[in-house]
Amino acid sequence: MADRATASVQSPRPDSAGRYGRFGGKYVPETLMHALTQLESAFHSLASDAQFQVLLSLSLSPILPLQFSQKGLSQNRKSFHLWQNELAEALRDYVGRESPLYFAERLTRRYARGGDGGPEVYLKREDLNHTGAHKINNAVAQALLAKKLGKRRVVAETGAGQHGVATATVCARFGLDCVVYMGARDMERQALNVFRMRLLDAQVRAVHSGTATLKDATSEAIRDWVTNVETTHYILGSVAGPHPYPMMVREFQAVIGKETRKQALEKWGGKPDVLVACVGGGSNAMGLFHEFIDDKDVRLIGVEAAGLGVESGKHAATLTKGEVGVLHGAMSYLLQDDDGQIIEPHSISAGLDYPGVGPEHSFLKDIGRAEYYSVTDEEALEAFKRVSQLEGIIPALETSHALAYLEKLCPTLPNGTKVVVNCSGRGDKDVETALKYLNV
Amino acid sequence: MAWCKLQGAIVSCHSRTRHELTDEKGASSRLLEVVQPVVTRETIKIMLPELTIAYVPSTQIVESKPLPIPTSDSGKFGRFGGKFVPETLVACLNQLELHFENALRDQLFQAELAVALRDYVGRETPLYHAERLSEYYKSMNNGKGPDIYLKREDLSHTGSHKMNNALAQSMIAKRMGCKSVVTATGSGQHGLATAAACAKLGLDCTVFMAAKDMQRQSSNVRLIKLLGAQVEKVEGGFKDAASEAFRYWVGDLERNYHLTGSAVGPHPCPAMVREFQSVIGKETRIQALEKWGGKPDVVVACVGTGSNALGLFHEFIDDRDVRLIGVEAGGMGLESGAHSSSLTTGEVGVYHGAITYLLQDQDGQVIQPHSIAAGMEYPGVGPELSFLKESGRAEFCVANDQEALHAYERLCKLEGIVPSLEAAHALAILDKLVPTLHNGSKVVVNCSGRGDKDAATVFNRGLFDEE
Repeated sequence: MADRATASVQSPRPDSAGRYGRFGGKYVPETLMHALTQLESAFHSLASDAQFQVLLSLSLSPILPLQFSQKGLSQNRKSFHLWQNELAEALRDYVGRESPLYFAERLTRRYARGGDGGPEVYLKREDLNHTGAHKINNAVAQALLAKKLGKRRVVAETGAGQHGVATATVCARFGLDCVVYMGARDMERQALNVFRMRLLDAQVRAVHSGTATLKDATSEAIRDWVTNVETTHYILGSVAGPHPYPMMVREFQAVIGKETRKQALEKWGGKPDVLVACVGGGSNAMGLFHEFIDDKDVRLIGVEAAGLGVESGKHAATLTKGEVGVLHGAMSYLLQDDDGQIIEPHSISAGLDYPGVGPEHSFLKDIGRAEYYSVTDEEALEAFKRVSQLEGIIPALETSHALAYLEKLCPTLPNGTKVVVNCSGRGDKDVETALKYLNV
Repeated sequence: MAWCKLQGAIVSCHSRTRHELTDEKGASSRLLEVVQPVVTRETIKIMLPELTIAYVPSTQIVESKPLPIPTSDSGKFGRFGGKFVPETLVACLNQLELHFENALRDQLFQAELAVALRDYVGRETPLYHAERLSEYYKSMNNGKGPDIYLKREDLSHTGSHKMNNALAQSMIAKRMGCKSVVTATGSGQHGLATAAACAKLGLDCTVFMAAKDMQRQSSNVRLIKLLGAQVEKVEGGFKDAASEAFRYWVGDLERNYHLTGSAVGPHPCPAMVREFQSVIGKETRIQALEKWGGKPDVVVACVGTGSNALGLFHEFIDDRDVRLIGVEAGGMGLESGAHSSSLTTGEVGVYHGAITYLLQDQDGQVIQPHSIAAGMEYPGVGPELSFLKESGRAEFCVANDQEALHAYERLCKLEGIVPSLEAAHALAILDKLVPTLHNGSKVVVNCSGRGDKDAATVFNRGLFDEE
């Protein structure tokens, strides 16, 4: 086991065993090992060419394809350039990237102190993406990966339906068969999302076992994958799960941070000082943070769901209240009771309602590179309403957690500090829930 | 800033007295709802009570000549357009026109608008090659067929092209010192865009919406309220909501700004809206050049009132090699009478302050239109589109409710994009259009909005059997 004291940001993240310090890894049945290894080598041959990454980060636009002379390139290199080009085109024309870095003037004014004081708040507008959240960045890339691997079929699980809809969307776009597993209880609560997935030609299968919610749907999806691994790819929606998923999903979401660096340079000639993002599984946060991990002068802040309060027992603040254990194939912090049983988490926002967290976040917390706080349902709802009325942008309830933390954060920041909040999704899906609690 | 106060109670309820008037030559024109209109037209001196007057002028159809390009200066597009409003409002509209022109010439305003369109609205919107949709049509014709591109206005902030105009006009309202914005909305998309823009700029916002639209687009109503805007319910249809918004505006002209969502109404409204929506066509030209080194061969857009269509068409009006096709709502079929095809079956009259094509019955009464898409339900149409039709520059056709639903479903399955029911009308026409186009021609369809708001409607139409 890697020694916690010597692990740092300098160590490869992840190492060859898929570990981030002591976190991560591949805690899966023997039957899955081959599929994961196959996936990892496919990913490396297509997407992680180090030389390409360097060139990409130097290029003017992180998502436009570079023009390489094709002469003399090996078949492999040609094929991965083609793949990169296809992905870049899909991100630009289908998803609508790049997403803007928006100066939130009225929100900034709220935190202004005296004459000219206060930090400046910018929103990274992932809410403007096709399907309304950052999830599609990963879904598109994984669908293209599946096609490259010759897979005709995709499986996924979904809680509230957002990841299911994103998966169904890309499968329709790329002509893949799509099967989404959803807990029977969740299907009842989210009938409209179920309908949406079917409109997109996906099969939605009800899972009745266990508590008939997300974690049971996850098990079913994995079972399907193991059974049909020759023809099927499993699209995991977050930076959780067994290696290589946390790394892959991070790489696919990293476009968020890459664009932010370029846009910050254009807008104020520097870097962001503080990055804030909500953390459920952790994909939007990793997407924003990853680019800046080696920039020690950039503060990274993750905000989890405190639900009804971290002392109430009804929350999803994994990094604040959890302990280390293994869930869904990875070692990470998770919410468990004294007998090591998973505690059912609670949050008003479905996307943060997850008892685990991505292993890389656990690592970043342990080495002190990133800070993690939490915000209650009530604070998130207030932020939901506040940002809607100050900026005309309705944020997702998940995102509202990050926005709510600004109330505590901004008074502590010196004048002119540049804060970038990842506006990870739009809140159309949450209006009915929110209106039940808010006086509007 | 000059402000107008209405004399007496011109803005009163409908008084449905019909008069048969004859002009000097003894010819009779059909007039309706004439109480005290103020417009002078030839020898007929009549006074407008409000905007719901429709009559058929006895003029000849203009011979087609080299096309005079409609400009915003004249307020007229051929014989269409104009400013048919009470005398006292003419001054207000002139003020508005002045501010509009100042804003257009003001570098600072243009820069601010450009930044907002990029960072707030998310422009430019992509021009997306709908490969699977193109393949679908090609597979029915030996692999031959046009390449279909979608202009992705559905990716704009609030999910439709409406924001281009709502944002720009809200910024003008702020410049003018108005504290409050009033508007009417059909599908809710324009109301939503306006509410969002007003929240961003710190303006009060009141949105008028028809009761039945509030019901079928209830998700949009909730969003509008959340953004801090007031929603006022109106009995009837969108046209009645539009009239109410106008009345409310007139109640406090200094404080209120009336934000037209579409290219209808008295001058300068159609010109303003078209100007702000024309960014769609401008981007399309550049993107077409980048993608295939040429222009589109055909551009297609749905037509309710006409703003998204004009936004796409306007850039290409001079390019005679680009076909402009507008698709109206055929509702339950043209023969049924329950539709909204003003350009296809309407006749010319004055409506909401402008001369345009409009749906009226034999007695000249405005017909309540119908479409499954709330944003298409308007008995009139933008005067500039009326002009494009009459001059033959643009073609107009019709898609009915069923065809729109099928197109909605088809795009979901083939491209994973959920179009609004309005945009689905434009997509529906591809069935008839594509077989007539030659291999490799480039078709750009304006995907004017996303269809999340319509999922409930489609659901209730029972397109799906539960497994």
